[in-house]
Amino acid sequence: MPPSEGADASSAPKEDAKPSPSSPPSLDAVRLRKQPPPEGRESLWRRRSAIFSFWAVVLCLGLPVWWKTTAIYRADLPLQDMTDWAEGKICKPVFPLRIAVEAPLPPQDAHHLLRTTQHALDDLNEFSAHHLRLMLADPPAPANASQQVVVDGTRNTSDDEDIALSIRLIPVETGATPRSHLQPYSPTLDVYYTPNQIPPPSSTGSPLATFIAHELHKIFAEEQAQLAYLLSTASGGHSSKMKSLSPETSAELQRQSTRALKYAPTYHLTFSLFTPTSTPSAWDIESALRQYVAPLLDSFSAISNFTVDTQVQLYATFSPSIRQPEYDEALKAWTLRKEDLSGFINAAEWPLSPSIGKGPTVNFVLYVPDKTQSPLLVKESGANSWLIPQWGGVAILNPTAPGKDAIVSASLTKEALGPAMHTFSNQLISLLGLPQMPSSLPLRISTLARVRAASLIFSASSTLGALAQVYQKLPSIPVPDSVAKSVDLALAHLQLACDRLREGRFQGALELARIAEGEAEKAFFERSMVGQVYFPDEHKVAVYLPLLGPVAVPLVMAALKELKSGLSALRGR
Amino acid sequence: MKFSSAILPLLLAPFAAGEHTSNWAVLVSTSRFWFNYRHLANVLSLYRTVKRLGIPDSQIILMLPDDMACNPRNAFPGTVYNNADRALDLYGDNIEVDYRGYEVTVENFIRLMTDRVAEDMPRSKRLMTDERSNILVYMTGHGGNEFLKFQDAEEISAYDLADAFSQMWEKKRYHEILFMIDTCQANTMYSKFYSPNILATGSSEIDQSSYSHHADNDVGVAVIDRYTYYNLEFLETQVRDPTSKLTMGDLFDSYDEEKIHSHPGIRYDLFEGGEAVARSRLVMDFFGNVQNVEVDKGGVGNEAQWREELEAIERMIVEAKRRHNVTLNVQPQTQHVVEEGKPAQARQSLKKEGAMRVDEESGWSKQIVGAATLLGCAGLWFAGSWFESH
Repeated sequence: MPPSEGADASSAPKEDAKPSPSSPPSLDAVRLRKQPPPEGRESLWRRRSAIFSFWAVVLCLGLPVWWKTTAIYRADLPLQDMTDWAEGKICKPVFPLRIAVEAPLPPQDAHHLLRTTQHALDDLNEFSAHHLRLMLADPPAPANASQQVVVDGTRNTSDDEDIALSIRLIPVETGATPRSHLQPYSPTLDVYYTPNQIPPPSSTGSPLATFIAHELHKIFAEEQAQLAYLLSTASGGHSSKMKSLSPETSAELQRQSTRALKYAPTYHLTFSLFTPTSTPSAWDIESALRQYVAPLLDSFSAISNFTVDTQVQLYATFSPSIRQPEYDEALKAWTLRKEDLSGFINAAEWPLSPSIGKGPTVNFVLYVPDKTQSPLLVKESGANSWLIPQWGGVAILNPTAPGKDAIVSASLTKEALGPAMHTFSNQLISLLGLPQMPSSLPLRISTLARVRAASLIFSASSTLGALAQVYQKLPSIPVPDSVAKSVDLALAHLQLACDRLREGRFQGALELARIAEGEAEKAFFERSMVGQVYFPDEHKVAVYLPLLGPVAVPLVMAALKELKSGLSALRGR
Repeated sequence: MKFSSAILPLLLAPFAAGEHTSNWAVLVSTSRFWFNYRHLANVLSLYRTVKRLGIPDSQIILMLPDDMACNPRNAFPGTVYNNADRALDLYGDNIEVDYRGYEVTVENFIRLMTDRVAEDMPRSKRLMTDERSNILVYMTGHGGNEFLKFQDAEEISAYDLADAFSQMWEKKRYHEILFMIDTCQANTMYSKFYSPNILATGSSEIDQSSYSHHADNDVGVAVIDRYTYYNLEFLETQVRDPTSKLTMGDLFDSYDEEKIHSHPGIRYDLFEGGEAVARSRLVMDFFGNVQNVEVDKGGVGNEAQWREELEAIERMIVEAKRRHNVTLNVQPQTQHVVEEGKPAQARQSLKKEGAMRVDEESGWSKQIVGAATLLGCAGLWFAGSWFESH
């Protein structure tokens, strides 16, 4: 309302007051005089449009802006797929292992032998997800390598990476037959037989076929148990397919899985020399590692990478809370009690876990006791090394071993480090979860690759399931688009990995599963998915009232007034 | 199905027995300023105890919002004591503080628990736990009904804490948690938890204060809280070395309300197996770092054979490498897959992180209460101005 009107209104009574002494005013006149002059139609509409425009700004601009700025952005996630993966509904991992048979036989006989062996093998197998498929190897002539032998239409045998084991049939004249020999450094099983053991085409079974089937079953027994255990623990969805594991086996597998480190693409190994005195102050660790550990690490390169560092720590004392070593007269040695071993590492003072790099650290501690406290052994077993699950290993190098000269001088030679390095490499093998059986190392490593691929698939799926749960349970957490992208990638790679498993291409499956796991972890641990989510209602009132109250009251009041006058005008008409 | 349900308990039995392979401790003091000296002393005492019982520094996350040792008002510079006898300097020369000063915030605490941290965060500041880790979470500061104040500036609510734990459970980031809190109305802080395998204990009930134990006249302020003091007394006098077989039940039984001057609470219902199992857990399962070490059997006999093996492996690897170089037909495929993953990564890093938002509570009743309050206030205002205008 323009102020001039107001001024007019206030001056109006003064003018009217002049004639008042001459004629006493009637009540009606007083009432009339107090009324402001009637509003012009134009100013009425101007006021109404002003109020209306304020409300329009509030409703059309303010409210959407408030809504938009306080809404939480949540990208759409394929929740159903994620949950299905976590529950194991989509991928039932299977492990079809291909075994190539090289037989110096006419094709007909070889096929027959293969068939009967396959039969025997299938009868032995109780675990449907893991099955061995026999096939004839390529003819040895390299000229034929380009012609791929197609077995049951889908796969070719050309890429030998995917053949789990090859069997070589070797006819011999002497010795007990059939007998077998598993080559320790190549995935090859040599089977010796006498020619008369080849089954005639008419027969349905033969001792040779049964023998091979049993041998194969034995070789893959531990792998089957590991996979069965993994499937059974991973999710309920697989339990129907589970092979029955005896309680002892399952306890042993449980122990193994407790001991082994979780899978990581890179591990960091720390080799530390601790001594309570000033000697030895140097060790020839570089060449020792090159000779004793490097070959082992190289052979794992298909599964994980390793980085290595070393340190020497002098004057390292025990933690005061463990019992000091005691001298045992019978053993003629200083002894540590087994209960104290887990406190042997003086975690408060020994600088371990250097927090280098991305991967988890595996610690190997070589402890050289003081000459006055040597030899130092574990009381119950007389051993001098032990393994700490998921952490690393400890070995004691006694400077004066019984029956040996003092081997410790100011510096340790490569030869002196040999036994300790042997211990460490054994410990590393069990920390990485390499199975003990069979004796052939490449076979064990390929077993580990399969187990790891399956466990990565499980852990990636369970991470996705966890993300789906968090998404549903905490509706207030923001979910950016990058999470949706990572989830899509993870799902795609999981599907590919699962397909690779089904095709029996385990190395590929491992690599894909690793990517899937990485993406799933990235999605779950997305940095911006943290909110201080809970805000009590009292706080909301406290925030909004001082802000909106002063604005809202005039707006509401004006709107109400106008409505009232509008209504009365309508009624008056 | 029957078969599997029969065998499942067999398989799960070892899990129920509860084996953990690592112990972690998250020790948080949340208050600043000199007169809160005792909160820092509380946390440092706990830090000293878990370190003594074997948890390495790399597995202890210590959050100290203020530096009492170097406070100008400290009459004993460079030291922090938790007792008027000043027998033990808690600060010592070997403490590793992971989050200090203004790094101690609610956001950082939740990020730590859920591991949603920046990529360049050092490993020592992260909680790298897995499904076999036991975690001790100890918090102290000033709190109230369902909240705990951080730094006099913000507060963490019981709901946030419960949600953080639930995310940890979903991601299998713990095996068991012992949650301990010493603050006023402490028991309300764990009342909202809903994730399994959490054993929680607090110093005082709702509407109860948690008191300090005693003051040191030379330091000039209270040096320790009662609840922490009596916990420590038990840990220092009864749990003397890592082989101790005392249980959590023993610890809880040692709480004496006469001495603590408030009612300590214990919450068992989340724990798998309930009260009996929770009480039978060893104190060392949470305060120490005891693992089942495996002693290697016997001596190292066949060294010669091992050396031979190593040589053979080396030969094998050389051979494999040679073969690998000859046939490089598998490689391109895998590389292709890796490349597929990359563009998304690049785009992600481009996208900036948005600000955090506060949300609406989903419970309708609360909404209505809030709305009614708002309307009531607005109504009052309206009525007031109406009266004024007439």
